[in-house]
Amino acid sequence: MGTSAIIFYTIATIMIVFSLLAVTSRKILRAAVYLLFALGGTAAVYFMVNYFFLAAVQLIVYAGGIVVLIIFSILLTSHIEEKMQKPDSWKIILTSILGLGGTTLCLYVITNHLFASQPSTGVEATMTTIGEKLLGYREGGYVLPFEVISILLLAAMIGAIVVAKRNKPEGNG
Amino acid sequence: MSLQELLLLRHEWALIASVLILLVLELNFSEEKKSNSISSASILFAIVTLLGFLPAETGSTFGGMYVTDPLRILMKNILNISVLVVFLQSGAWLRTKNNYNRITEFYLLMISSVIGVNFMISAGHFLMFYLGLELLTIPIAAAASYDQYKSKSAEAGIKLILTSAFSSAILLFGLSLLYGSTGSMYFSEMEFSTNSLQILGFVFFFSGLGFKISIVPFHLWTADVYEGSPTNVTSYLSVVSKGAAVFVLVLLLVNLFDPLRQVWQQVIYGTAIFTMTIGNLFAIRQQNLKRYLAFSSIAQAGFILLGVIGGSALGMASVIYFVLVYVFSNLAAFGVVIAIEQSAGKINMKDYNGLYKTNPRLSLAMMLALFSLAGIPPLAGFFGKFFLFTAVAESGYFVLLLIAVLNAVISLYYYLLVVKAMFINKSEFPVPYFQSDYPTRIALSGCVIGILIIGFYSPVFEYIKQLCLASL
Repeated sequence: MGTSAIIFYTIATIMIVFSLLAVTSRKILRAAVYLLFALGGTAAVYFMVNYFFLAAVQLIVYAGGIVVLIIFSILLTSHIEEKMQKPDSWKIILTSILGLGGTTLCLYVITNHLFASQPSTGVEATMTTIGEKLLGYREGGYVLPFEVISILLLAAMIGAIVVAKRNKPEGNG
Repeated sequence: MSLQELLLLRHEWALIASVLILLVLELNFSEEKKSNSISSASILFAIVTLLGFLPAETGSTFGGMYVTDPLRILMKNILNISVLVVFLQSGAWLRTKNNYNRITEFYLLMISSVIGVNFMISAGHFLMFYLGLELLTIPIAAAASYDQYKSKSAEAGIKLILTSAFSSAILLFGLSLLYGSTGSMYFSEMEFSTNSLQILGFVFFFSGLGFKISIVPFHLWTADVYEGSPTNVTSYLSVVSKGAAVFVLVLLLVNLFDPLRQVWQQVIYGTAIFTMTIGNLFAIRQQNLKRYLAFSSIAQAGFILLGVIGGSALGMASVIYFVLVYVFSNLAAFGVVIAIEQSAGKINMKDYNGLYKTNPRLSLAMMLALFSLAGIPPLAGFFGKFFLFTAVAESGYFVLLLIAVLNAVISLYYYLLVVKAMFINKSEFPVPYFQSDYPTRIALSGCVIGILIIGFYSPVFEYIKQLCLASL
């Protein structure tokens, strides 16, 4: 086993452990922090396969942005000390059987699939190529999804305003 | 990139422009006149709908990410009309006191969602499909929690956003498996052979879309969200959101997933039976009309799946025709529920007792809508079901056909329950006589005319069938 394999399995173990902790922890702030480590692990995998841009985005957007956002919203809306209710034991058993069954099925199918090896295109994922792809409008260009996402964000902002907006006191029937 | 290529996206441009115009218009309305945006939004959307009917170029652009053809344009037009009806029915509700400072936002959210619908239908790449799906759902989750002072509305919003996040995750996992096995996300480049990885990916994809169409076993959110949301949002969810997902399902199954036909026919065979039966059985027990229509719409989704199973042009055409009829029938039913809720604040079945004595025209509209949903001749719903059953018989699924016919009979029973309440049951305190506002009346009469006309005017079905044949 080479060094990279050892590093990969270490990262993978960290990711799996922290993902499990994130969904089983009964304190919500802890769950958010565990999630941070799981996301960091993903970034590490990207670094391993030389996707530096993706790794940086993963770190900045997910670890830096989204987890901080989650923690902020937890601090603003709920009590940190509050513990989540413990689910019934039959629920735990049933969901773990289902989860394990699903995981086994997926792993079985994926590991038994013969993936056709794609010839390397020889294109380096430099910032220039990424930028050209992102704003390209020919085949392989992503400008349309890029713009649709901006509409999605506008809609999400309007939605957030609607949810948060209060009526003025006199209209508060 | 030429202007001509950009004009292929006409539906989307028109919708985006109307969002921007509304945003700017809203700024210019004074505080007391915010309700002006009700009429301006309706007029704007009517223009957008009309624009959609102008003859259009077809083709694909953005390197194949965006595809448009006459069939897709027809789908968009059907959905645009139904959104227009929803808008016309929403005026009275938006004018109520609790909504006075968020009238325009309702339209902005709805139109954004329609933009998502359009991009999803025209997708030529799974990324566009996924973005369209998200853009369709996220604004609606905000709209579902519009009634700020009702905890049920907040519950509906949170349930919708959580289930849609969950279903998106499943769908994305399926898509990543499909990408892993085909090496592309462009529909035109994906090649399917029935290996187990692709089957697994397809099943995940189908489950994700199944949440949107509320196919059993992915229907658990439906009744709660439909009940809690404002009724206008419910009618949008049950008609536009569901209709769009059905359209996309048909398009993708018949064109893209054709090599996996053996697989999806089995999947649909099972889910169709469960969806029809469970939807019907639960609908019988409902007293709240919104929950009742929720389960009725689940059962209707089961019937829709019947048409998909053949995967032929006839099946496709019968699905699109059925959705067209379903749009008018369901919107008419919801229109009556909305009108009565706004004037009397009642949504239970027993409140409808003796409605015919006080509001004969509304009762007639409701009766026609329910008869059409049940599939009683000579209304359009009958022809919708007839074509669906023909498509099933043509593909040779006779057991499925038998179950479907039995289910149609069961559904007749619970649709008649409401009719009985309105026309036969007596009540000491029926809903008093009232007149709804003009737009609601226009929308309701439009729906009733649709229910009556579409069935008899045979060129409609012929036209749809022709488009389907051309698209295969």
